[in-house]
Amino acid sequence: MSTCRESELDALLAGELAPEDASRVRAHAEGCAACKHALAWQRLERGWMTQRARRELVRPALSFSALEARLAVAQKAPAPVRHARREGQWRHWGKMAMAAAAAVAFVGLSLPRGGAGVGVGVGVGTEEPWSRELIVATGVEACEDAAAALEARVGACLIASPVLALRAD
Amino acid sequence: MVLVGTPPSDTDGERGLLRRARTGDPAAFRVIFERHSPAVWRFLRDLLRDEAAADEATQETFVRAHSRLGALRDEDRVGSWLLGIARHVYLESRRTRGVHVDVADEEHAHQVEAVLPTPSPEDLLLDQELAGLLTEALGMLHAERRAALLLRIDHGLAYEEIASVMGWSLPKVKNEIHRARLRLREQLAAHVGGGRP
Repeated sequence: MSTCRESELDALLAGELAPEDASRVRAHAEGCAACKHALAWQRLERGWMTQRARRELVRPALSFSALEARLAVAQKAPAPVRHARREGQWRHWGKMAMAAAAAVAFVGLSLPRGGAGVGVGVGVGTEEPWSRELIVATGVEACEDAAAALEARVGACLIASPVLALRAD
Repeated sequence: MVLVGTPPSDTDGERGLLRRARTGDPAAFRVIFERHSPAVWRFLRDLLRDEAAADEATQETFVRAHSRLGALRDEDRVGSWLLGIARHVYLESRRTRGVHVDVADEEHAHQVEAVLPTPSPEDLLLDQELAGLLTEALGMLHAERRAALLLRIDHGLAYEEIASVMGWSLPKVKNEIHRARLRLREQLAAHVGGGRP
């Protein structure tokens, strides 16, 4: 042992060292006052802790029947962590639905209005209902079912859809 | 839970008991509980410094252990595994109770080694008074340092096991235990080596 290490002395007392290491540490400790001193303290501490553990009284709370009762309750109780996760999932899906609704609304409101083909886009009168051709050309029809389903799910009209105006017709 | 096969005995090995407990054998889990609960309770009592709280924390430790039997990889280390769970229960309990009573565990390492008396064989006898002083001296240690020291000198865990339980590196474990020992010796020096009042 080039330097005195208390952990090695400790391992020696605990019988954790390999035979050759144990011989080396023991030989060092015999000639080292500091290690002899540390070993004496370690023996004392171990002795005290052993006596202390032996004197512990049996605790009524350490009866297995008390634990069994608690285990039964724990097995019946729903896992709170799972609930938290589910709540988190629902919150997540709610946010996703809101984002989808906003996206649909954005597409619906930003689409150009007016006659098909010619003059579509900027400058077209905003009051005119969309034509069937424009809806087909811009792919809005494909969104109709999805938007309706989304509205049905949230129970509210999410967008002032031109498709609704066509339906009224 | 249903009894499976022959009832386990106190002499059954940990591996066998663990396997039976994993299959839902309550008798096997009972043997594990009866074998380890005194040490788990003592560890928790030393950390919490409250016997009633240690009762509750011990029960909680075994409830958690029961639900995680399948997670134990090293079947020969049931004791250290349980003490690891107990430490987590202690940390949660401390947070819940808002208790933070750690004393300023100041370092006097250099001076301590110089003034410590050498114990005599008579000092080995732990009488009632000295037992009280020992508990008090342990309580003066910082909680995490105290846990590491107890895992070593009371529960006999290897340094590697303590590193695993505490989530520390091996050098840190050795260093913390060494410092805890010096602090403990400093507290008890007056009662050792003929220095008892």
